[in-house]
Amino acid sequence: MFKLIRRNLLRNKRRTILTVLSIAIALILLSFLDLLLAAMSGVNSANANRLVVRHAISLTFSMPAAYEQRLAALEHVEGITIMNWFQGRYIDDRPENFFPRFGTDPDTFPDVFPELALSPGEIDAWRAERTAFIAGRALAEEKGWEIGDVITVEGDIYPVDIELTLRGVFTHPTDEAAERVLYFDWQYVEEALGNPGQINSFYVLLDSPDNMNETIAQAEAMFENSPDQVRAETEAAFFLSFLEMMGNIQFLFSAIGLAVIASIFFITVNTMAMASRERTTEVAVLRTLGFTRSRVLAIVLFESLAVGVLGAAIGLAVMPVVTGAISSVLATQGITFSELRLDDRTPTLVMGIGVFLGLAAGLVPALQAMNMKIVDGLRRVA
Amino acid sequence: MTEKLVEISDVTKNYRRDEFSIKVLAGVSMDVTEGEFVALMGPSGSGKSTLLNLLAGIDRPTSGQIRVAGQSLGALNDSQLAGWRHRNIGFVFQFYHLIPVLTAFENLELPLTLTKLSRAQRRKKVDLALDVVGLADRKDHYPRQLSGGQEQRVAIARAIVTDPRLVLADEPTGDLDAASAQEILDLLEQLNEEFGKTIVMVTHDPRAAERAGRELHLDKGRLNSATDTALQG
Repeated sequence: MFKLIRRNLLRNKRRTILTVLSIAIALILLSFLDLLLAAMSGVNSANANRLVVRHAISLTFSMPAAYEQRLAALEHVEGITIMNWFQGRYIDDRPENFFPRFGTDPDTFPDVFPELALSPGEIDAWRAERTAFIAGRALAEEKGWEIGDVITVEGDIYPVDIELTLRGVFTHPTDEAAERVLYFDWQYVEEALGNPGQINSFYVLLDSPDNMNETIAQAEAMFENSPDQVRAETEAAFFLSFLEMMGNIQFLFSAIGLAVIASIFFITVNTMAMASRERTTEVAVLRTLGFTRSRVLAIVLFESLAVGVLGAAIGLAVMPVVTGAISSVLATQGITFSELRLDDRTPTLVMGIGVFLGLAAGLVPALQAMNMKIVDGLRRVA
Repeated sequence: MTEKLVEISDVTKNYRRDEFSIKVLAGVSMDVTEGEFVALMGPSGSGKSTLLNLLAGIDRPTSGQIRVAGQSLGALNDSQLAGWRHRNIGFVFQFYHLIPVLTAFENLELPLTLTKLSRAQRRKKVDLALDVVGLADRKDHYPRQLSGGQEQRVAIARAIVTDPRLVLADEPTGDLDAASAQEILDLLEQLNEEFGKTIVMVTHDPRAAERAGRELHLDKGRLNSATDTALQG
């Protein structure tokens, strides 16, 4: 029976190859969108105890630095630190030299980000030197940085070039993406700019996730009548709010993904229906030879399933290359997602959809073949 | 003593075409004894192929009884009928209907895959059947690489490879040239005489019918008993 299925698949090679490739491409696109969403949301490294306070209008607006003291006074706050997106240019504009560069406060940062492991010596060294910086292990390894190395980052958003010395390398227990970041003392830039006292965001560590909603309400209420109102949200929600800057991309991606699945489903259904229709007489012959309805159903379904699984397998094999290529293209546009890589659930997702597509697309032709009257099938040609 | 292999009693078959009911068979009764070679003749639309399909269990009568090898076909459900067909019937089609993606050998092996036979046992049976039809040297050929006559011989080999009690042939020479038709008729005759296969053959061709031991004529769905002619023996 499997020989028959295999030969049937190869009967019209061009059609089978095109169908398999269309499934593969659709699955690559779909899982890439999924990875992109996951990468953009950055939820892997979000801490349930942490909330982020930013300007109510947009992330591109800043708040007075004095807000830090007022936020720190809230009941459930255990720690607070500042976070400014410096951006800048390291070496050149090539994508591989783009990575997040944040200005923060070395005195408070380690308390608010306890999951980033730094030795006490490294923390002290960072605090002791205005031009010191710390980097995640993944980033340091990628760049070949050693403790004591000096790097220069040209300012673009801020009109100041900064020269930084590596004094610490931190690790994250689970999220390698969180290790592809550089943190330095914002005071360095602040002084160079003449102490404007403007902050992008405050990261606030609470005593318990249970107090998140209460603190969010308190923080927002605190500055309700200020010229710079704030928006407070969980760290995970904050990551997602990046998406909102570009409209509801999550919805858009999901819609695109569904559209891709739906269109490829109908293409596969059509292909399988055509293949099955062409073999109506053969199915009738098989039934005449003694093949039961269920066996005929299984033959058509297996054939369709094979197309789906083959498409998924090719998609999975090619996906790392495609993901890398698209990441590079995105990076040239200044869009970098360090965690845009296949994860453990990607094979399951892709194979699951491949199996679903194969079975679902084959179901109607298989049922038609199963329920066809033998004499009608024989009459088609005879 | 010869045994009745096929017993048909008062079988009718109606088809519905839109709002019309068309009577294809009207009260046909006949028997075929084991080892007979029967030619079923009649003009187009007389119901001979329909009768053959009913005998093969690939269609069901509107009324009446069909017993083949002691089994009432009406008592079997679809799945049982498929198994029964596999064990008892070998069917030869006018247009051969070999599976084009399988070689001659694989086409013959196909019905045997429904059995519990080992691969070696299947190979033995297939080789034997191909030997009988004289195409052992063509076993690796695909249907498109065979002539019409050779395709039909492979189809006959497929029909006998499971060693069925009844071989049904629906216009087996209808798509062949005269020489190939003669070869096919010789082969059917050989199956009947040497291997004792019971054969019911539908044909238009009086010369083909002459090769059978008995001719039955259908006309407008009725068996013309006056033409039930024993030609041999």
